Amino acid sequence: MKRRTVTSLLLGGALAALAIPAMAQDYGSFPGYTLRVKLIGGAQYEPLYAEIPKWEAATGAKVEIVSSKNHFELDKEIKQDIAAGTLDWCVGSNHTSFAPQYGEIYTDLNGLIAPEVIADFVPLMIQHSTVNGRLVQLPRHSDVSNLFYQKSLYEDAAKKTAFKEKYGYDLAPPETWVQVKDQAMFFSNPPDFYGFQFVGKDEAVTGRFYEMLVANGGAMFDDNWVPTFNSAAGVESLQFFVDLYNAKAVPAGVPNYTWDDTGLGFGSGSIAMDLDWGGWSSYFNDPANSKVAGNVGVIRAPKGSGGKRTGWSGSHSFSITEGCDNKAAAASFLTFLTSYDNQMVEARKGLLPTRAQVWVDAIAEFEAAANTFSAETMKTFQASMSEDAFTPPLIAEWIEVSNVLWPKLQAAIVGDMTAQEALDAAQADAAVIMTDAGYN
Amino acid sequence: MRVSVESRASKQAKKVALWLTTFMLMLVMCLPGLWVVLSAFRPNREILAKPPVWIPEDLSLINFGKIFGFGAEQVGIPVGSYFTNSLIIALTSTVIALIIGVAGGYAFARYRFPFKGGLFLGLMLFRAVPGIALSLPVFMMWSKLGLVDTKMGLIIVYVSLNVPFTIWLIDGFFRQIPLSLSEAAQVDGCNPWQAFWKIEFPLARSGIASAGVFAFLTSWNEFALASQLTRSTDSKTLPVGLLDFTAQFTIDWAGMCALAVIIIIPALILTFIVQKHLIAGLTFGGVKG
Amino acid sequence: MIRALTTRRTETTPFLLLLPAVVTMLFVVALPLVFSLWTSLTPYKLTKPDTLYDFIGLRNYVRIFGDWDFWVAFLRTIGFLTVALNVEFVLGLGIALLINKITWGQRALRTIMMFPMMFSPILVGFQFKFLFNDNIGVVNNALQSLGLTDQAIPWLVDAKLAMFSITLAEVWMSTSVFAILLLAGLFAMPRDPLEAARVDGCNPWQVFRHITLPFLMPFAYIAMAIRSLDVARAYDLVAVMTDGGPAGRTELLWTLIARVGYDEAKMGQANAMAYVSTILSILFTWYFYRKLVAARRYMGGAE
Repeated sequence: MKRRTVTSLLLGGALAALAIPAMAQDYGSFPGYTLRVKLIGGAQYEPLYAEIPKWEAATGAKVEIVSSKNHFELDKEIKQDIAAGTLDWCVGSNHTSFAPQYGEIYTDLNGLIAPEVIADFVPLMIQHSTVNGRLVQLPRHSDVSNLFYQKSLYEDAAKKTAFKEKYGYDLAPPETWVQVKDQAMFFSNPPDFYGFQFVGKDEAVTGRFYEMLVANGGAMFDDNWVPTFNSAAGVESLQFFVDLYNAKAVPAGVPNYTWDDTGLGFGSGSIAMDLDWGGWSSYFNDPANSKVAGNVGVIRAPKGSGGKRTGWSGSHSFSITEGCDNKAAAASFLTFLTSYDNQMVEARKGLLPTRAQVWVDAIAEFEAAANTFSAETMKTFQASMSEDAFTPPLIAEWIEVSNVLWPKLQAAIVGDMTAQEALDAAQADAAVIMTDAGYN
Repeated sequence: MRVSVESRASKQAKKVALWLTTFMLMLVMCLPGLWVVLSAFRPNREILAKPPVWIPEDLSLINFGKIFGFGAEQVGIPVGSYFTNSLIIALTSTVIALIIGVAGGYAFARYRFPFKGGLFLGLMLFRAVPGIALSLPVFMMWSKLGLVDTKMGLIIVYVSLNVPFTIWLIDGFFRQIPLSLSEAAQVDGCNPWQAFWKIEFPLARSGIASAGVFAFLTSWNEFALASQLTRSTDSKTLPVGLLDFTAQFTIDWAGMCALAVIIIIPALILTFIVQKHLIAGLTFGGVKG
Repeated sequence: MIRALTTRRTETTPFLLLLPAVVTMLFVVALPLVFSLWTSLTPYKLTKPDTLYDFIGLRNYVRIFGDWDFWVAFLRTIGFLTVALNVEFVLGLGIALLINKITWGQRALRTIMMFPMMFSPILVGFQFKFLFNDNIGVVNNALQSLGLTDQAIPWLVDAKLAMFSITLAEVWMSTSVFAILLLAGLFAMPRDPLEAARVDGCNPWQVFRHITLPFLMPFAYIAMAIRSLDVARAYDLVAVMTDGGPAGRTELLWTLIARVGYDEAKMGQANAMAYVSTILSILFTWYFYRKLVAARRYMGGAE
């Protein structure tokens, strides 16, 4: 009896020793310090925050979540803080699209985060996180859009024959946007079924227009920051949306669609092709949420007439305020939140990581588990992320310009103006903004 | 005098018909709301399916599970904190608004004094300011005072939101109570203060209850100011919590519906309990000056 | 000494009683209002806090008064308010009249009637956004299943339909307030005039028009005044449903203000617009207040 007790004690002790949090990385020691953070909230992001106690245990510091809001509310809040001078917190959730607006409130991480750590990240992501030469944020997960589609449509023999007859080439998941247009019109059967859909308002539609513009060989601004999106490439890009809308190949409500409408729409099974974010892939393949689960294919975003693929991308990130009183602790926290282990946790849930190694290992994991959908999806997004992804111009005026552009895009789509008229009008307004801001 | 020749049976029939019509009308009116409640028990796939699924096939509590942290997503949202915050804030602001309202309403009802009309109108008009014009300055003031992300901060704001309507209602109500009652009590030896407590206040109970219900519902459901002035679980209220179901690109509508049900139930219960007083209280308001 | 209503002695009691109310309102509303007024005279940008101290006079106001989009939004808002308030009144009256006749289960029925009041405005916004979604929304699905149409009706896109949808959502949310206030009025009505009229041979319509309705009007005006104070809550609803789009077709003052103020961080200009919108609210409220006082006088009440 006694021997067994001793043995079990020894075994228990050994196990316990093994079980002590084996933090491969040393996160430093900040006993008694309270780190104030403002994090983006929401069901999707909570699982990461459940890991925070591990960091607290390793460093002896405490984390105080001062605010936990959604994306847009957080942006409003930070602007209010800037206005009121209440920047009394250290770490904040950030996003590559919003970061340029915040001016100099966030510090350059190049001096704070060890270069070896930064080197672990996909270089393009670090580039996107740099504003005016300063690394103002450490990316946590990025997103880019690729084309989701219903596989069954492309395997249907009758459809293949009919399509070949009408359009003269084989029906296959589209490689170019022109093909998308053809196929969208072909598949559509309003009001029950539509070939395509797109978001039609706010910065969302500006972004979609912008990436199409780039794919078609155009540019938002020239070297002097004069807006040039009303070029031929711009009209061609806008015309794409207009034509689809007029042909009723997209639901009539798209001018009012935002991301939730398109996501839920594809999940309802009434859309053939949907250019959407990687973050939606697990939703689309989940039988509880989506009618197309098991029937979803993913292909890299199609190419525009300029030979480039669309690739509007943004990263969720974390930043450290200039006024932080313990930047070392904050840097340690950032490194922890974006650590290999934590990114693996998020990658398993379908969020696209920013560390190069995590991409490799997550895909390997999915393949080992015979999860073909997740493996294939992730490979597709990995290619997009490293080759096609680009951000909007990282300037503070991006949102302002977007706000004068998207109502005009809408006007063209619903037919109140022609594409050229709409873009010209928006260009005039945008030019004023850029001049007022001192760019030219 | 015309004698009614309707038989009892046809009178009954009329009553039943009326009741059924009204009930159907109520049902149609509540349909959008009922859709939300029903959706709370269905998965996202069914709610927005195409072709639509009219008879629910898959009723379950998984959405509620999401809120409380069961099921695939291990972590729920801190609905317990939101609920307590909402309850404390709504109840406290209602009670304070009522106290201020009773005092103010009594003053308007019983006294004549200079600037009375102007003061009355002025108090009402303050309410006319849209939240957007107020939100930033209030935030700045509040942050200087350390009231951001505190329950007290939100309570103060809600009190100011509710005071005008409360005063209006209670003023109208007190006008209804004959002054002679108070005078009689004073003749019997009570001082004005005692007369108020013993006679007028008990009669006012219904009016106060109705003003209370309106104030409570306003505070319970308020979103814009709450999202401005709250930050963390220290003070976040349930309506703000609804946005926890929206991520940057995705929205979990079924989850939101489940939370909505949690928001609606206490309000419904409270309203039902106070129903008796509600009409009686409102009846005294408004007309007879 | 007996305190009577007719005393003309200036007392401090009423002022003392009103002090908490006045202090609260001044503190929470008046001070911010002054601040807003100041910022409307500056080019204040949220992200450039020093602009708070540049005085530019009425330039913001001049700019918005010369802005066609602003006027369109302004007029559209007035139209929206007018239609919504009137529809809510009529519907609320109808419901109140119906419920007034019921004798059994009143309590439950009244609670059901107040059901829409339990919904937070932001929830109502999401709710109707999904109901009216042209592709997967319940409304279109129902219409198609019933065979009433084979089109996907763009409830939130077409100019007229979108305004209709928003108005419907707002009416749904707030008719209950009218209904309950009017119901209270019906309950409060003395029976004698009604009996007398019936004895005299008036038909139900005449009774309603000449006796019931005038009696109810003060209640109606209170409700309208309160609702016009409150209607800025519709902002949450509209922001979620259409956010002023598409192409500005449903742009109301409040969505415009919020976008300029927060998305573009041009707080100074947004506050100028907010002041104009405040004046609008005040005008509506003042209008109903005058009508209320007149109605009370008509009914013979004391001031």
